Amino acid sequence: MTDLELVIASSATDAGIGCWDLHTGAEHLRYRSCSSPSHGLTCVGGRFLASSQLRESKSSSSSILYWSWNKPQVEVKSFPAEPINPLVSNSDGTYIAGGGASGDIFLWQVATGKLLKKWHAHYRGVTCLLFNDDQSLLISGSEDGSVRVWSLIMVFDDLLRGKAKQPYEYSFSEHSLKVTDVVIGYGGANAIVVSASEDRTCKVWSLSRGKMLRNIVFPSIIDAIALDTGEDVFYAGGRDGKIYIAALNAVADPNNNFGLHILGCLSEQSKAITCLALSTDGDLLISGSEDGLVRVWNTKNHNIARIFRYAKGPVNNIVVIKQPSLLSTRGSVNAQVPSVKRHGVSLAPPLEKYANSADENDYKAVIGPRIDPDRSVEASYISIQTLNNQIIELQRQGSSAAAEMEIERLKLDRSRSMQMILQWGKKFQSLHQFCVTELLDGEQAGNA
Amino acid sequence: MVKTKAPSKKKQQKRGVDFKKIRRKIGRKLPPPQNATNTEIKSKAIILPEQSIASEKAGLAVSKKGLTLKELLQQTSHHNVKVRKDALIGIRDILLKFPAELKLHKLAVIEKLRERISDDDKLVREALYQLLKSVIFPGCKEDSKGPINSLMMTYIFNAMTHMAIEVRLMAFKFFDLLIQYFPSSFLLYAEKILQNYEDILQKNKFYLQDKGRLKNALAGLVRCLSLLPCSNQEEGDSLSYNDATRASLHAFDLDRSNKSTDVICFAGLSGVVNKLTDLLPVLVSCFQDFSPLIHSMAHLDAQSFDCMLFLLQSIDLVVRFFGHASGKNQDDFQNLSSAYQKNSPSIHGQSISAVTLKKLWDEFPLSPVHCLSEKDGDRYFMLNVVITEIFLQLSYGSELSPALLERFLEFIESSLSEKIFNGKEAGKVHHEKHLIPLVAFIPKIIMQVSDAWKSRILQAFTTVFQNCNPESPMKLACLTAVEEMLLPEQNLEIFDDQITWIRELPNLLVLLGDKHPLHSKAVLRLQLRVGQAANLNSPLAKEYDNMQYIQQQQYTECDPTSGVWNKQYIIQDFYCTHLNGTVNYGPFMRLPRDIQELSVCCLYYFSFLDKVLLQSLASCCICHVLEPFILSRIIEVFHSAYKAGHIQIADYISFFITLLSRFQVYPEKIYPTEKHEGKSNRGTFKSVVRAVCSCLSQIGDDVLVLQMLEKIVLDEISHKRPVDNMYGFIRLLITLDSKPTRLSEQTINRLSEVLPEYFLDVVNNIPEEDEESTKLLIQQTRHYYLLPCFFLFERSNTLLNQILKVMESLIRRNVSSLLPHHKGALGKDQSSRILSIVSVLLLMHGDLKMQKLLMPCKTEIRNILESMHTLESSEDIMMTIEERHQIRTNVHQLSGETAGRLWQFDEQNSVCCKK
Repeated sequence: MTDLELVIASSATDAGIGCWDLHTGAEHLRYRSCSSPSHGLTCVGGRFLASSQLRESKSSSSSILYWSWNKPQVEVKSFPAEPINPLVSNSDGTYIAGGGASGDIFLWQVATGKLLKKWHAHYRGVTCLLFNDDQSLLISGSEDGSVRVWSLIMVFDDLLRGKAKQPYEYSFSEHSLKVTDVVIGYGGANAIVVSASEDRTCKVWSLSRGKMLRNIVFPSIIDAIALDTGEDVFYAGGRDGKIYIAALNAVADPNNNFGLHILGCLSEQSKAITCLALSTDGDLLISGSEDGLVRVWNTKNHNIARIFRYAKGPVNNIVVIKQPSLLSTRGSVNAQVPSVKRHGVSLAPPLEKYANSADENDYKAVIGPRIDPDRSVEASYISIQTLNNQIIELQRQGSSAAAEMEIERLKLDRSRSMQMILQWGKKFQSLHQFCVTELLDGEQAGNA
Repeated sequence: MVKTKAPSKKKQQKRGVDFKKIRRKIGRKLPPPQNATNTEIKSKAIILPEQSIASEKAGLAVSKKGLTLKELLQQTSHHNVKVRKDALIGIRDILLKFPAELKLHKLAVIEKLRERISDDDKLVREALYQLLKSVIFPGCKEDSKGPINSLMMTYIFNAMTHMAIEVRLMAFKFFDLLIQYFPSSFLLYAEKILQNYEDILQKNKFYLQDKGRLKNALAGLVRCLSLLPCSNQEEGDSLSYNDATRASLHAFDLDRSNKSTDVICFAGLSGVVNKLTDLLPVLVSCFQDFSPLIHSMAHLDAQSFDCMLFLLQSIDLVVRFFGHASGKNQDDFQNLSSAYQKNSPSIHGQSISAVTLKKLWDEFPLSPVHCLSEKDGDRYFMLNVVITEIFLQLSYGSELSPALLERFLEFIESSLSEKIFNGKEAGKVHHEKHLIPLVAFIPKIIMQVSDAWKSRILQAFTTVFQNCNPESPMKLACLTAVEEMLLPEQNLEIFDDQITWIRELPNLLVLLGDKHPLHSKAVLRLQLRVGQAANLNSPLAKEYDNMQYIQQQQYTECDPTSGVWNKQYIIQDFYCTHLNGTVNYGPFMRLPRDIQELSVCCLYYFSFLDKVLLQSLASCCICHVLEPFILSRIIEVFHSAYKAGHIQIADYISFFITLLSRFQVYPEKIYPTEKHEGKSNRGTFKSVVRAVCSCLSQIGDDVLVLQMLEKIVLDEISHKRPVDNMYGFIRLLITLDSKPTRLSEQTINRLSEVLPEYFLDVVNNIPEEDEESTKLLIQQTRHYYLLPCFFLFERSNTLLNQILKVMESLIRRNVSSLLPHHKGALGKDQSSRILSIVSVLLLMHGDLKMQKLLMPCKTEIRNILESMHTLESSEDIMMTIEERHQIRTNVHQLSGETAGRLWQFDEQNSVCCKK
C-alpha cells in the first residue's frame, strides 16, 4: 500500500484535475472544472483535493473548491475575500493557508472553515506558500521578489508580535523579480530553503543563520524546483524546457557548460517546464510542461520512464501523494460512493470569508485528523478535556526526562528490594540458627 | 692556530716521562729522546676558514657593512646604543635586499627584535618601529599570524607597564602597528589592552605637555575600538568569495569561526563590557580636561584638536558597541528607552550612566569664543558632529531635557542646510564628508521627533539630497537613508518628500552617466525597492509610474542661482531618446551588465509601462551594442510584465513587431566580413525570433492572436525588408497558424506576391560557391531560410500553386519585355534572376516533404520549364555564350531533377488508370 503513489495535475485552462497512478500509469477519475493558478492545488491531509481558482473575469468572484476522491464534481465551494493564488495545507490537513493577490496570507481551519488569521505579508501578490517539515513555519514567496519566513507561533501570538521588530522571522529580499517557486529541506528550523525567481537565479537560504548560502544563475528563468531527498542536488525546471540539476553538496566546477554549480540537465524537446515534483523515494521526478504532458523521469539514469497526457493546455500544478485508501482501484470507486453517501457527511464546511473575532479562543470541540476516511466524521469528535488528558499522558510517556525518572524509580525499587532480600536472608539465617540450636538443645535435654 | 697547538703537544710529552727520575746536570743539555716526535709542521699555505671577509660571505646575505643577519641580531642586544641602532638599520637593509631571508627566519628575527620594544633609548625604539612598519609586518602579512601575535604581545604588554612613560607610550604605538597588520590580536587580548589604556589615560599629568604621544596612543585606541563589533558594521558580502570555493553548503566555515563578532559575542563579552564601562568615564574626563583649552586659546592647535577628535571617536565607538551588544537582547530601537527602565540589568543600563555623558552634552555645541579662521570652524564642526553622533547613537532623547534635544536638532538642521557654512567649494566637500555619518541617522530621527521638527529636518535633508554632487559619497549615504524612509512599513506620512525623492531618481541616473557604476547601482537598487514595495494604487506606486512622464512644473523650473534652465530628466532618458529622428542612447547602454540587468528588473514594477518608454527600450534592443543576454532579459521581463497586466496588448505587440522588423542582422551575407570584426549577430536574431514567437503565442488563443497579427505582419512583409527580418515574420506566421491554414485569402495572395522575391533574395544573398567545404553550409543556410515557407506550403497548396505561377510569369516577363524592341542584351541581373529561380526550385526539390507537395503542381513546373526553353532557344535575345550555357545547364539540371519524378508520377497515374 505504501508504494502506491498518485500524480495529480491541474492547469490554468479548464481541463480538470488529472489523476494517475505513478507506478502503473493507470488513470483515475478526472475531477472536473478546475482552473488553478500556479501552486494552487493541494491535497488536504490525504482526505480530499482543494484548489484555488483563477477568476474568469473581473466580475466573477474568486473561489476555492474541494473535491472528494470519488466524485468528479466539485463538492464544496468557498468564496474568500480576495483571489487566492497559492494554496497549501499542512500535512495533517488541519489548516489551509492561502496567499492573496494583494499580498495577504489567509489561514483557515479546515474542520470548521473558520478564518483563523489574515495578515499582510508582502507588498505584492503572494506567489507560493509552503509549510516546513514540522509544520511550525510558513514560507511565502511573492511577486515583489521577497521570500519571508513566518513562525506560526508568532503569527498567533499578538503580544510577541507587538514586541518584535518585525512580524516575520526572516525576510530575504535579494531576488530582484517575482519569486516563482520555493522548496524547503528537512531539519525543522535548521533546514535550507531554495527559491527560484524570474531573475534567472535560484538562491539557497539557511533558516538557522538567516542568510543566503548560495546563488546559482541559470541560463533561463526557473519556474519550478524540486529538492532531492538527500539534499545533494535540486532540480530546476526552466522556461527553455530543460530541467537543470544544481549541486548543493558538490565541488563547483567553474568550467561547466551551464554555469557554476549546475551539474547537468534533463531535456527532451518540450516547451517550458512549469512544475516539478519528486516521488517519495526520490527515484522519480515528475515534470509538467506547457505542452500539456506530464513526464516522469528516472533520476538515476535521466531517462523518461513514463508520459501522462494531461491535456492540450499547459499543466501548472503537480502534486504527488500517497494513494488514499478510498481510491484503491478504479472499479471500486463506484462501490465506495454509496458508503459515503450513507453517512451523509459533507467533506468539510466552506471556508469563511472574514474572521469573526467575537467567539475566538472559545473552542468547545475539535475534529481530529481523519486517519481512516471510511469512518464517519462524527466518530472523531472528542471533547477538549480528553484531548488535553491525552496530551499530558503522551508527554509523560514520551519525553525522555520522564523515561529517565522512570528508570531512577525502578533503580530505587531494585535497591530497596535487594535490601529486603538481604534482610530476609538474615532473618532466615538467624531463625535457622535458632531452630537448629533449639533442636539440638532439645535433643541434648532429651538425652540428658 | 699553529702556535697554540704546538706547546700543548710538548706538555703532553713531558707528562709522559713524568715517572722517570731524571737527573739533570746543570749546564748540560738533555739530548733529545729517541722516541721524540718531530713537532714541526710544514705546510705550503695556511688556510683559515671563517676569517677572510672576501671569500666567506660570497653566498650569504649581508648588510651594507658586510654583516650577516645572525651577527646583526646578536648586535641588537649590544650594550652600546649606537651599535644597537645600527644593527636595526642593518637588518632593514638585509631584509629589503633579500626578502627571502625574512621568510626563512621570520620567527627568529621577531623573537630577537621584540626585546627591543622596551629599549631605553628613544632612537632605537624609533628605528625598530620603522623596521617593523616598513619591512617585517608587510612581509609576514599573508602568513599565519598566530605565533607573531603571541610573540609580540608579551613584550608589548611588558613595555606598556614600563616605568618610563616614554617607553609606555611607544608601546602603544607598537601595538597600534601590530593591530594594523593583525587585527585579530586585539580581540584576543582585549581586556588587558583596555586596562592598559585606562591606566595611561588616568595618568594625566603629561597630557598637556606631550600631546603628540598622546595622540598616537589615542589613535591606537580608536583603531582597537573600531574592531569591536558594531551594529552599523554589517557583515560583509562574504558570499561571493565563499560561494565559488565552497563545495558543501553545510561545511564548517573556517572564516566564520575567526570572525570578530563571534569571538567577542560568545567568549569575552562580559569582560570587555566591564572594561569599557570603566574606560568611558576616563575618556570623558580626559575630554573635559581639554575643554578649558578651547575657551582659553585663540585658536585650536592641530594636536590638541586631534586628541579631542580621537577621544570623541573612542567614546562614539564604545557607545556604538554598547548599543550593538544591548541590541542583541533588545532589538527594537524605539522601545529601547522604555525597556531600559524596565529591565535595568541589560548591559546598556549597567554601562552608560547618563551622568557620565551628561558632561559631554554640557559642552555641546563647542563654539569658539573668538572669531576665527575657516579651518578652525571646520574643526569645531567636526567635533560637534561627533558629539551629535554619540548623542544620536544613544538617542534616549526622552530622558533628557527637551532643551537638550532641541539643541541637537537645531545643530543637525543647520549643519544640513549649511547655515553654519559660508559656501566655498573646497570647504563644501569637506563639510559634506563629515556630514555623512549624520545623514545615516536621519531616518531614526524622523521616526522619533515631533511633527514640527520632522518637517524642518526633512526639508534640510531633501535639500542636501538634491544639491549634493551626484557622484559624491554623500549621495550614496542619502540614498541609503531615503531607502529606509521610503519603505511603507515605517508609516511615516511624509509623502511630499518621498515624492520629491523619487522624482530625483531618473535625474540622478542620467546625470551619473556611465562613469559611476557604484552610484548608478545604488540608485537602481533604490528604484527597485520602491517599485517592489509600492502597493497598488498607493501614492508611491503612482509616483513610481510617473517616473516615465515629464512633470510639467518641474520641466520649466529654473535654478535661481545659476540662471540655467534645469532640465528634469525622466526615466526614458536613461535608456534612449529620440530627438528629431536621431536616436540618443542613454547611459544604460554603456553600463556594466549587472546594472543593466537591475534596471531591466525595475521595469517590471511599473504598473503601467508607457508607450514612449517601450519605444525607447525597443531602440535599445535593436542597437548592436546591447548584449544578447540583456536583450533576452528585456524580452523576458516584458513578458512577465504583460502577464501581470502592466503592458497594454497593443503596445506589447508593437514592441515585438518593431523588434522583428528593425533588428539589423549583420553581416548580410552568410560569411562574416571585415567590417563587423568577423562577428555576426544572426544567432542573436534567431533567439530573438524564437523568444518573440513564444511570447506572442502565449498572449492567448492562437486563432485570435493570428487574427490580430495577420494584417500587421502582412504590412511589414509587404515593405521590402532584409531576408532575416522576413524570415522572422514568416516564422511568426507559422507559429500562430495551424495545419489547414487559417490565413485569409487576401493574405495568401499577398504572400504569393512577396515570397518569390524573398526566395530570390535568399538565393542572391547566399551565393553558391564551388568549394566543397562550404557547399554543405550554404545548402543548409538556404534551407534554413526556406523552411518556414515550406511549412506554409504544406498548410496551403494554393499558395504553392500561386507562387509557382508567379515565378513562371517572372521568367516570361523577362522574355517578353525584351523580345520586340531592344534585341540586345538580356541584362545581367535578369539572367542571374532566372538562374536564381532555378536554384530555388532545386532547393524545393531537395526537401522530401516538398517533393510530395510539388507532385500536384506539375503543370506549373512544366510551364516554367517551357518558358525557360523558349528563352534559351530564342534567337532574338542576345546573350553571351557563357550565360546561355549556364542557363542551359541549369534548365537541364532542373528538368532532370523534376522530370524524373514528375514523369514517373505521371506514368504511375496512367498505369493506375489503365488498371
